[in-house]
Amino acid sequence: MPPRASKRKTAPPNSSSVTSSDGRSVFSKTKTKGLGKIDRLFNSYANSSSGEIDPDGIVALCSDLGVDHTDVRILMLAWKLKAAKQGFFTQDEWRTGMKALRVDSLSKLKKVLPELEIEVGKPSNYEDFYAYAFRYCLTEEKQKSLDIESICELLNLVLGAQFRPQVDSLIEYLKVQSDYKVINLDQWKNFLRFVQEISFPDLENYDSGLAWPLILDNFIADFIRTLREP
Amino acid sequence: MSNQKKRNFQIEAFKHRVVVDPKYAEKTWSVLEHAIHEIYNHNASGLSFEELYRNAYNMVLHKFGEKLYSGLVTTMTAHLKEISKSIEAAQGGLFLEELNRKWNDHNKALQMIRDILMYMDRTYIPNAHKTPVHELGLNLWRDNVIHSSKIQSRLLSMLLELVHKERTGEVIDRGLMRNIIKMLMDLGSSVYQEDFEKPFLEVSAEFYMGESQKFIECCDCGDYLKKAEIRLNEEIERVTHYLDVKSEVKITNVVEKEMIASHMMRLVHMENSGLVNMLLDDKYEDLGRMYNLFRRVPNGLSTIRDVMTSHLREIGKQLVTDAEKLKDPVEFVQRLLDEKDKYDNIISQAFCNDKTFQNALNSSFEYFINLNNRSPEFISLFVDDKLRKGLKGVSEEEVEIILDKVMMLFRYLQEKDVFEKYYKQHLAKRLLSGKTVSDDAERSLIVKLKTECGYQFTSKLEGMFTDMKTSQDTMQGFYSSHLELTDGPTLVVQVLTTGSWPTQPSITCNLPAEMSALCEKFRSYYLGTHTGRRLSWQTNMGTADIKATFGKGQKHELNVSTYQMCVLMLFNNADRLSYKEIEQATGIPASDLKRCLQSMACVKGKNVLRKEPMSKDIGEEDALLVNDKFTSKFYKVKIGTVVAQKETEPEKLETRQRVEEDRKPQIEAAIVRIMKSRRVLDHNNIIAEVTKQLQSRFLANPTEIKKRIESLIERDFLERDNNDRKLYRYLA
Repeated sequence: MPPRASKRKTAPPNSSSVTSSDGRSVFSKTKTKGLGKIDRLFNSYANSSSGEIDPDGIVALCSDLGVDHTDVRILMLAWKLKAAKQGFFTQDEWRTGMKALRVDSLSKLKKVLPELEIEVGKPSNYEDFYAYAFRYCLTEEKQKSLDIESICELLNLVLGAQFRPQVDSLIEYLKVQSDYKVINLDQWKNFLRFVQEISFPDLENYDSGLAWPLILDNFIADFIRTLREP
Repeated sequence: MSNQKKRNFQIEAFKHRVVVDPKYAEKTWSVLEHAIHEIYNHNASGLSFEELYRNAYNMVLHKFGEKLYSGLVTTMTAHLKEISKSIEAAQGGLFLEELNRKWNDHNKALQMIRDILMYMDRTYIPNAHKTPVHELGLNLWRDNVIHSSKIQSRLLSMLLELVHKERTGEVIDRGLMRNIIKMLMDLGSSVYQEDFEKPFLEVSAEFYMGESQKFIECCDCGDYLKKAEIRLNEEIERVTHYLDVKSEVKITNVVEKEMIASHMMRLVHMENSGLVNMLLDDKYEDLGRMYNLFRRVPNGLSTIRDVMTSHLREIGKQLVTDAEKLKDPVEFVQRLLDEKDKYDNIISQAFCNDKTFQNALNSSFEYFINLNNRSPEFISLFVDDKLRKGLKGVSEEEVEIILDKVMMLFRYLQEKDVFEKYYKQHLAKRLLSGKTVSDDAERSLIVKLKTECGYQFTSKLEGMFTDMKTSQDTMQGFYSSHLELTDGPTLVVQVLTTGSWPTQPSITCNLPAEMSALCEKFRSYYLGTHTGRRLSWQTNMGTADIKATFGKGQKHELNVSTYQMCVLMLFNNADRLSYKEIEQATGIPASDLKRCLQSMACVKGKNVLRKEPMSKDIGEEDALLVNDKFTSKFYKVKIGTVVAQKETEPEKLETRQRVEEDRKPQIEAAIVRIMKSRRVLDHNNIIAEVTKQLQSRFLANPTEIKKRIESLIERDFLERDNNDRKLYRYLA
């Protein structure tokens, strides 16, 4: 009887020996066969001392996936994994995520990315993903806002593809205005509402008397003003 | 004897012999016809009423009612045609008299005829649905006389001519007019209206149109209105004298329309004499007349009101933006009060205390007072001036009147919290320098403010008064327990509770030795009875009286600020001191020190110090000496008191910033209060509610409210609703 594979909670000291060339588990025919593959995949990127995939690991993963590490799909992956800290994946997060994606190998992961995009794009998920993106960037404990720079990058990353003109104008404004040095979650959430609901660039259905955050009122006022100037 | 035959005693119906004699009817009728003739010929006395009545009665009874009636019609018509001719023949003025006479005759005749034919009137006529005799008589008169072609138009033109004559000042026979008009009225309201009233109104309209045009070209507004009033009264009088009372409102409408309504705008805006001029010159009588006339026409009063309002706003705006007038705040406020008094008088004397005008006055004042954002400060300065000296020697009632007027201006302010800040500052200065004319007046004003704005507004102010009183008691206690000090310098300490008084940065300077020892004794005395408190000396707010002897032996008592005292005491030990030495020794901050030295060295009459060089400003290299040549007419010389003054620009900005900062928590408190009770509320309603709640203190800016809401969302007091993005939800 071949020795049973034990459920390992932490990565083995030498991770390089685990993966074979075809990625098959050395210990096949075990109950935790799938988990084993997932774990091995995890271990191939994890940092040996911390037991987590750190930023370097993520960069490696990205290059293996053929995706730039600033690509929004990595963010989507983080969302699917419900990753708590930016730049890090814990083993639990990894396991949960991979299982939810029903993948256990790199190639499968690569193939599932387009499906993931579609899944994120569904209205029921998108709001959640969008808010997640903000929280993901909060690094300090009790941090509630993000600096303008990060917000601009995040806006570009998350909304840029779909709402290019609004995002460009908004980013431009955020950079020059001086009322706000940071953006909080409430304002962030309303950016999404804004690009989704308000027609652009005519802004016909925008009413500053309503409950839009002040920063958007100011953005609109500024935008209209610059439109008037030749 | 004989057989008594039983006879059937029958009572047979009375069979009057039916007169088959057709001539009977003829005969009877001719009797009556003759009678009618006689009546019309004024020969009625020879007739027997009873006989005629009987004849008529018989005719009707024998079913000759038809013949009687038609005969009456024919006969009467014939007579009336004759009468008509005789009236037509009348010349000139006699026409109406003839008509009147003939009318009277006809009425008398008609009366008699009706009496004679009463049986027919009561029986045949209703059955046959014919017109009753009296009415018939009137109709026939109408048709044959009044509406006869030769009479109808002549009658009308005569009547109108008479009216016109009267309007142009001639005297006419009013009795005759009355009778003729009454005749028309008797003939039926449609006759009166068609044959007289309608044309009368038309002609009157033309007349007044012409007259008003003439007047408006040559008269000024006041005169025109006088004339219009006269005409109006004339017409009303005319109606009572000889027209139907129902015509009054119609003819007055005509006059009102032609003389007032058509020229309303031109009158009101007439150059040099229009409404604005009347207001400026307090022309109560003219204004009252205008009010009474204009209230009769649609939009009349609102026109006056609108012009008054825009004029007031204009003057007000000029007043509050005129840089000259703004130089003296007390003057400025006095002008406002004078203007208000003026218009109060106008409204009570000329505009019948009309409430809508009062409201227009109030809204105009509210508008322009708030155009200048220094109004709150200036009103406080005005009050300060009055309480310092302006009310000296004024009776108690007068004081109340003035304070009430100030309160009225206060009510117009939108930024009452700004007023509060300034008032506190000025009150503090008054209290600390002991410069208030009447304690009662001060308290009276506080009570008024409390009534207007509630307890919170005035609680701190009252605290200030309490502190002053308590300090007095404290000083008494201090001196009675330190009898050895009675020979030394007299110290008067006011202990101010930090929260109640306007905040001041407290920088303690170095007091002269005599004083600092005394102050320390006080501090230990005070802290002995009030443990747990902290005292900090506010040397920038105190005053001192010191006796000085100058070079030629002249003695004076100088009233100076604490800082100035510190500087002067240094010269007890030195004849000459440099600026830097003074600065070092006293520890007074540079800007204050410069100001204080300037007031002692560079101001004529107060130059107890001499400066080298003799420039106007204090330079850091300057040196100061005692001015041994100092002279003054007065023994007591006041140098530098802490008087309330108009703020400089930077001070003003600072105060405003503080006010803005103070408003933020008030807005937040209002938002939380509202959301706590409503739980869920939409954006527009929150803005409206918050604005309303804060109205008594200041006008909340919707943008600011929005900012506060967002801040509260960030701090998890509120959240946005997930589905309806206009709603906010309270998070318990």
